[in-house]
Amino acid sequence: MKVPYCQHQHSTPDPQAPALEIKGLAVSYSSEEKFALQDFDIRVPAGSSLALVGPNGAGKSTLFKAICGLLPVRRGLIRVFGHSLGACHHRVVYLPQRSEIDWHFPVSVLDLVVMGRYVYLGWFKRPSQRDVEIARHALKEMNVWDLAGRQISKLSGGQQQRVLIARALSQNADLLLLDEPLNAVDASTRQTVGEVLQKIKAQGKTVIVATHYYDQEEGRYDNAIYLKDGKRIKSPDQKEESIHNDCDCT
Amino acid sequence: MHYLTDPLQYVFIQRAILAAVIIGVVCAALGTFVVLRRMAVVGHALTHSALPGLVIAYLMGGSLFAGALIATVMTALGIGYLARDESVYEDTLVGMVPNIMFAFGILLISTTKSFRDLFSMLFGNILGVTEGDLHLIMLIAAVSLLALFLFYKELKLFSVDPDYAKTIGMPVKALHYGILLFLSFTVVVGIQAVGTVLTNALLVIPVAAARLLTERLGAMMALSCVFAVLSAIGGIYLSYYFGTASGASIVMFAAVMFAGAWVYKFFRKA
Repeated sequence: MKVPYCQHQHSTPDPQAPALEIKGLAVSYSSEEKFALQDFDIRVPAGSSLALVGPNGAGKSTLFKAICGLLPVRRGLIRVFGHSLGACHHRVVYLPQRSEIDWHFPVSVLDLVVMGRYVYLGWFKRPSQRDVEIARHALKEMNVWDLAGRQISKLSGGQQQRVLIARALSQNADLLLLDEPLNAVDASTRQTVGEVLQKIKAQGKTVIVATHYYDQEEGRYDNAIYLKDGKRIKSPDQKEESIHNDCDCT
Repeated sequence: MHYLTDPLQYVFIQRAILAAVIIGVVCAALGTFVVLRRMAVVGHALTHSALPGLVIAYLMGGSLFAGALIATVMTALGIGYLARDESVYEDTLVGMVPNIMFAFGILLISTTKSFRDLFSMLFGNILGVTEGDLHLIMLIAAVSLLALFLFYKELKLFSVDPDYAKTIGMPVKALHYGILLFLSFTVVVGIQAVGTVLTNALLVIPVAAARLLTERLGAMMALSCVFAVLSAIGGIYLSYYFGTASGASIVMFAAVMFAGAWVYKFFRKA
């Protein structure tokens, strides 16, 4: 018998609903601080890919954290596949920037990737052989299957990124939020990540990537939106001007 | 060989060894997460916070275990709660609260006629463990180890990537308070063996020694338990033959284990 982590039941996504719909979102890091993100609207169709472009401090990570429930929503509405936040944890995966993980903790690469299956296990259940096989397959996809037994403390920056993406793949989420996945990685990793993102998109999954490198990767994404100082702007050259309309990004 | 078997003819020694082994295993098992999550200072805080609970229970003629448990649990939950206010840093609380609690305990001790009765609270009295104490130690150990077994994978994920744990719906606050709660239980049983002053050593030293020899979590935990068991038995034998304080002897044996592991690692690298 499965005992899920969250009280919310895993909901079946509404097939007609967009992958992500946000209206009037305002987020801050504490109740007293000014908004790190405000007046944010977006509608991301299922199966599309979107680049979230902006400098450091623009609000990209803040947006991802709000969608995943890591930051409380001060105002506005977020719906994922037609359901409220937290109704389908397993369908959303957030890939943070690498520094937020304790890379010195003694777990192996395979252990870390198998953690992507925990959302399906819930309390008390151990990963099965099938879960381990799914994790191994994800490592193969990212060309790091030979690192399965290595401790995560012994990985290079590029290898860390590949392993984190492998964990995201093993979770088999439908909405992937990738925060600067190409930041400070080698060319080989950049290519592998690019190929995997294309493969994921071909599987009908929705991908939103926070990036500084949009100019170099423009062909990879269906659309791009720009953020500056916590607000959405029309283009990188435009001064900040929030877009209040229910804006479809397609 | 009779040096090993002679002490075992005494029931109190048998009881002490059994209690010390159980306490060592629990401290080492939970101590693995304490050390890896960099919570050693919190462990230190809780051990010191137990003192006023022990003294009040003693003065009221109540259960020392209960007194220590109430004091450590209140401290653990209090630190966890107060640290939510970001204007008070958690490490400040951890540095401040146990010193206040320890001072309060010493203050209460100073109101009694003699310090002798309370020496065992500060430095342990494993040789004075009664049958009832042993049953309580076994119960607390069983519950703690069962919790560790049931929630092992959640503790692993929460330690390496708490944000990801939260995104998949894990109640991370409950896990955090749960760790503090079981740490409180572990501290209370540890105090019986080595007292409030030295319990943190039992949480930390066997794990530190194991960490020198392996990088795998499961192996680290198992090796910590082995070191803790050897320290417990060695410390009691030392106390029996040389009349040394049992709690301090256990800790010194653990320190010898650590030194041995360090030397082994040094020469293996060379």
